[in-house]
Amino acid sequence: MADQHGARNAAPTPRTAVVIGGNRIPFARSGGAYAYSSNKDMLIAALDGLVARFGLQGERIGEVAAGAVLKHSRDFNLTREAVLGSALSPETPAYDLQQACATGLETVVGLSNKIRLGQIESGIAGGVDSASDAPIAVSEGLRRVLLDLSRARTTQQKLTTLAKLRPKDLAPNAPSTGEPRTGLSMGEHQALTTAAWEITREAQDELAFRSHRNLAAAYDRGFFSDLMTPYRGVTRDANLRADTSLEKLASLKPVFGTSLGTPATMTAGNSTPLTDGAAVVLLGSEEYATANNLPMLANVVDAEAAAVDFVHGGEGLLMAPVHALPRLLERNGLTFEDFDFFEIHEAFAGTVLSSLAAWEDADYCKRVLGLDGALGSIDRSKLNVNGSSLAAGHPFAATGGRIVASLAKMLSERGGRGLISVCAAGGQGVVAILEGRN
Amino acid sequence: MSGALTEDVPLDGVPNLPQLYRQALALTVRRRIRREALPTVLPAVRHRADGVAVDLGALTRFQHLIGSTARDRLPSAYLHTLAFPVAMSVLARADFPLPLLGMVHLSNEVHQDRQVGAFEHLDVMARAEDLRPHPAGTQVDVVVETSVDGERVWTGRSVYLARGVRFDGGTAEPRGDEDRPPFAAPVPTGLWRLDAGTGRQYAAVSGDWNPIHLSATSARALGMKRAIAHGMYLAARMVDEAVPAPSGALDWRIDFTTPVLLPGTVTTSFTREQQDRGAGVGGGLVEVMGWSAERRRPHFTGWVRAE
Repeated sequence: MADQHGARNAAPTPRTAVVIGGNRIPFARSGGAYAYSSNKDMLIAALDGLVARFGLQGERIGEVAAGAVLKHSRDFNLTREAVLGSALSPETPAYDLQQACATGLETVVGLSNKIRLGQIESGIAGGVDSASDAPIAVSEGLRRVLLDLSRARTTQQKLTTLAKLRPKDLAPNAPSTGEPRTGLSMGEHQALTTAAWEITREAQDELAFRSHRNLAAAYDRGFFSDLMTPYRGVTRDANLRADTSLEKLASLKPVFGTSLGTPATMTAGNSTPLTDGAAVVLLGSEEYATANNLPMLANVVDAEAAAVDFVHGGEGLLMAPVHALPRLLERNGLTFEDFDFFEIHEAFAGTVLSSLAAWEDADYCKRVLGLDGALGSIDRSKLNVNGSSLAAGHPFAATGGRIVASLAKMLSERGGRGLISVCAAGGQGVVAILEGRN
Repeated sequence: MSGALTEDVPLDGVPNLPQLYRQALALTVRRRIRREALPTVLPAVRHRADGVAVDLGALTRFQHLIGSTARDRLPSAYLHTLAFPVAMSVLARADFPLPLLGMVHLSNEVHQDRQVGAFEHLDVMARAEDLRPHPAGTQVDVVVETSVDGERVWTGRSVYLARGVRFDGGTAEPRGDEDRPPFAAPVPTGLWRLDAGTGRQYAAVSGDWNPIHLSATSARALGMKRAIAHGMYLAARMVDEAVPAPSGALDWRIDFTTPVLLPGTVTTSFTREQQDRGAGVGGGLVEVMGWSAERRRPHFTGWVRAE
């Protein structure tokens, strides 16, 4: 009786959600080849390639989730509009999601969960961002006057409203990467963290150098041939400098943290540039993949989000993944030793190195993360083996899709387990585990 | 017109449209002043321009203006736009029997064999054929064939009418409205709100600066009350809205009934032929109509069929 009762109330065992494949357009530098392409254009370009690669023409996908960080208000339904402009069935539902730089990874997590619960059989997750085609808002003064004007009835009211307009109100507001609550740019925030963890200029340049070298090697062996569709004449990430050297990186002038009283170490070479691009990932249940004769590259195992109080100095802005990771590992009974690949998003080289240093610091791990000791060290030869954002560029919401598809492909080739860590504005971060199937 | 007797006229690149319009204007003026008799047969020529390349910036502006996506494939109507100057160069010839300026665009029918990429080089051929009487004048077909590496990718047939021009000795008798069956508007599915600058904007992305589309003043000189929308602008929007992401062959047709005066609002109806649910949604035939709800007159009818 008790057994029967228990069986009725037990949550059904979740199904497995698999990464079937991915597609992205090469990332371009802001103001480059995609300068006149909108977020919708680029998202559709990424979808077009995915549809062609997996024969999804006219297919009704369970759900499409994507987003953009820099988004114009007219693009409120960006993802649904992109679906309508694609070759997918117009009966495919879609929703927009925004979690700053974690947007792309969070769409993968959300749709995977729906697949695991049996709510959908297939899903397309992803993101897009354009730093070139960024929305520009009117000033608060002009906005007020325009809204009041639309409500004014008489000529007298209209003239009175217009008279409130001041010349300075005509200056437009461009979006910034500044944190609304602190006024500091993301780079300035990271400079504080980089200095606190005493990360050297040399270590940051070395990480940037390896990112370029690894990405170039991945291109050379054709790793991206089934992960990418050329767009607007661009066939590889425009930011990639295959011929860069430690000497060249060392010659760049610091741009962040120049007034901290500690040596300024962050340059344009070890920070990600503003970039345009889009990336999408095809997810499905095992049944969906089998029925449609599609590959299964890796399983989406689990994910964890975290947030930190960067406003009151409690933690660095981009350190939330440091907090999320131990919780994720504990829930899954895993340690760093259980992973074969680590994908830590390179917002700045300093972000990656500060995270690694924090996990290696027993005192910090006990005091701040509540652990018994240091979480552990990550074998550098397993870190960002196909390059990451420093080389590829970082169109904010597109980065999650880039990482998930690349890691899933690595796991399908080599087997094993992979860890993803993405930091985001607002002191947030998302980490996730993918697992190979062989 | 037999192909064997047709002379191939290779052009030195794509002709300049404004220059063709000036040439056509000068020809019309000269014919009027000298009271020259119009030729009565079509020139047996086929104009061709080889290796036509796409300018990505111009393509993006075209795609955005018609509400499409800046993708690396060419909108079907853009293939018409790329070939249009070659077609017009046939109509602007001194031995072409009809006056180019003021001709009315009646219809377009296109068969596209496959999608064409923005980086392909196009060989464009254009000829005029089938000069024939129309109740309101004389009509002619302009046929364009575009190929890539010797393989045909796009064929279009545009029908133009020269009002009041007759070669059979009869007089033009425009059919009155009373002859038409009363217009029954279908259930609307959309609205196109076209502002006064629509013609100028499309001229800028297509290169078709025909004065009939630019302003009320320039349109009046050609017998229109106000500027009218380009037929190919309406066609481009129709095809893109019907099939936003074609992947294979594409056929479409548009028949223009009454011009769209600018500014103006076109009420539209897109109807997809119902298919079996199992066959997937997205392909098949889409029937289209655009009309003026205010004047209760159709502007155009058409259909788009995707592979």
